[in-house]
Amino acid sequence: MVGELAGNYSTVVLMFGFAMAAMAPALVISRMISPRKRSNPVKFLPMECGQVPSGEGRTHFMMQYYPYILMFVVFDVMAIFLYAWGSALLEIPKMATLPMMGFLAIMFGAMAFALYQSGRRRIW
Amino acid sequence: MSVIAPNFKLSEFIKSLLDNIFWIILLLVLIGIPAVMMVLFFIEMPVIDGELLTPFLALTWLADPSRILPVIKAFMATDIFRVMAFPGFGFAALLAAGTIFVERKMLAKLQLRVGPFYCGKFEGILQLMGDGLKLISKEIIIPAKADKPIFWAAPVLFVAAAAAFVAFIPVAPGWVVADVEMGLLGVFAVIGFFPIITILSAWSANSKFPFIGGIRALFQMVSFEIPLILSLLGVVMLTGSLNLSQIAASQSSFPWIVFLPVGAIVFFITMLAELERIPFDLPEAESEIVAGWLTELSGMMYGLVQLGTYLKLYAFAALFVVIFLGGWNGPMVVPPFPPELLEGIELGPVVAGPFPGLPLFDQAMLNGTLWFVLKTVAVIFFILLPRGVFPRIRVDMLLNLGWTKLIGLAFVNIFIALGLLYAGVLGPGGLQ
Repeated sequence: MVGELAGNYSTVVLMFGFAMAAMAPALVISRMISPRKRSNPVKFLPMECGQVPSGEGRTHFMMQYYPYILMFVVFDVMAIFLYAWGSALLEIPKMATLPMMGFLAIMFGAMAFALYQSGRRRIW
Repeated sequence: MSVIAPNFKLSEFIKSLLDNIFWIILLLVLIGIPAVMMVLFFIEMPVIDGELLTPFLALTWLADPSRILPVIKAFMATDIFRVMAFPGFGFAALLAAGTIFVERKMLAKLQLRVGPFYCGKFEGILQLMGDGLKLISKEIIIPAKADKPIFWAAPVLFVAAAAAFVAFIPVAPGWVVADVEMGLLGVFAVIGFFPIITILSAWSANSKFPFIGGIRALFQMVSFEIPLILSLLGVVMLTGSLNLSQIAASQSSFPWIVFLPVGAIVFFITMLAELERIPFDLPEAESEIVAGWLTELSGMMYGLVQLGTYLKLYAFAALFVVIFLGGWNGPMVVPPFPPELLEGIELGPVVAGPFPGLPLFDQAMLNGTLWFVLKTVAVIFFILLPRGVFPRIRVDMLLNLGWTKLIGLAFVNIFIALGLLYAGVLGPGGLQ
C-alpha cells in the first residue's frame, strides 16, 4: 500500500531523469563542436567588469536580513501544517475549527513579535 | 567562396558511399536485429485488439498504415509517451519556446522597437532556432577555481527540476504525467528545489556577482514561499483534495477565482517573484549585478537555464489555470467526429474502413486541451506584461511586501474561504 502510493510518484522521477538525459547531450555536443582555446589565462578569471578580480569569490557575506531566514524555518512548517487541516476540513466537525483558530492566533502573535524583532536593525 | 576538396573524385565518393551502406546493412543484420529481438524477448508486449503484439505482427502491420493506428494508440497510453511528448516535456518545451519568441516581440512592441526581424521570412520567426545554433556552437568558459561538477550539473538540474514541476500539471481529463494524491504538496516540494540549485550554481562559480545573485534568490524564496503556499490553501479547503486533477474537475460550473480573487492575486504576485521576473528580478538584476547568478554561465549552459526558466514559467501559469481558472473546463467547441471516420467510408463499390482505433484523441480531450492552452497563454501574457511596464523593487521592499502584506492577504483569503464554507455558499450543500 505504502509502496503503491510511493510508486505513483515514479513518473515524476521519470520526468526528472528524462529531462536530464535529454539535456546533458546538449552540453556534450556543445563541448564537442565549439572551439576551445586555452591560450589566455585571463579568459578564465571570474567576471569583474573588465578589472582583474581582487579577493576571494566565496567570501563571508553580510546577511542583513538573517532574521527572515530564521522566521522562514518556523512559519514554512506552519503553512504546511495548515494544509493537513485544510484538506480535511470538509470531513471534520465545525467545532474542530476552534482549536485551529487558537493555533492561528498564537502564530499571528509569534509572527508579529518576530517581524518587530527583525525590523530592529541595530541588534542584527 | 570555398571549393570542394581539390582531390574530389565522384567515383571514389560513390564508392565510399556504397561502402558505408554495405557496412551499415551488414552490422544491422548481424548485430542490430538480433539485439532488438533479444531486448523484445524480455519486454512484455501489449495486447492490441485481442492480439498479442509480436515483432512479426508489428512488421506485417507496417505494410498497411491503417493497421498501425492501434499500435500508436497503445503507445500513447504509456508513461513514456506522456513523459516525452504530450502532457510532459515536448508539449511544455513547445509552449516555452513560443513564449520566448512572443516575449521578445511583445516587449519590443511595448518599447516601440521591432524585435527579432531578419531571421526567417516573416517577422523573425526563426530567431529562436538561430539563437539555439549560436549558443550550442559557443565555447563554454568555466571560471578558474570553480567547483566543476556542481557548475556543470546546475543547468541540467535546473531544467530537470522544471520538468518535474511540469509533470504534476493536468492538461486534459486523464492526461497528466503524475496523477498523485498529494499533487499540490509535490509541487511545493519541487518549487523548493529551485533556490537550492540557484545558490549551488552561484556558490560553485567562485565569482562575486553570481554569489550576490544567489543570496538574493534565497531571500526572495524565503519571503515568498509562505504566501505562495498559503494563497492556495483556500482552494484546498473548498475542494477537500490536494490532487490537481480533482481540483480542476471541481470547477466545472465556475472557476475559483470568482470566489477567491484575493488568493488569486496573491498567488500571481508570488508567482512573479518565484519566476524571478520584473518587478522581482533581483537575482538577475542586469543593471546592478551584471546578470546575477547567470553571470558566469556561458554558451549552452546559459541556454539550458533559459529553457528551464521558461519551462518553469509555463508550469506556474498552468498551475494558476488549474487552480483558479478551471483548468480544462470550458464550453464544448470542438465539433464531434464525422461518423464516416468511425464507421468507414463507402464510395460506390469502394469501402474503406472502419479503421480500428482511429479517434486517437477523444472529443473531450481535444476540447480540454484547447481551453487549457488558451487560458495558459492568457496567463503567460499577463506574466510577460509587467516586464515592459514596471521598474525593479528594492530588496528590503521585497521582504516587507512578502512578509507583511502578502501573508496578511493570504490569511484574509483563507478566512473568506472559511466564511463561504460555513455560511453554506460553497462546499457540500452549496453551489456546485
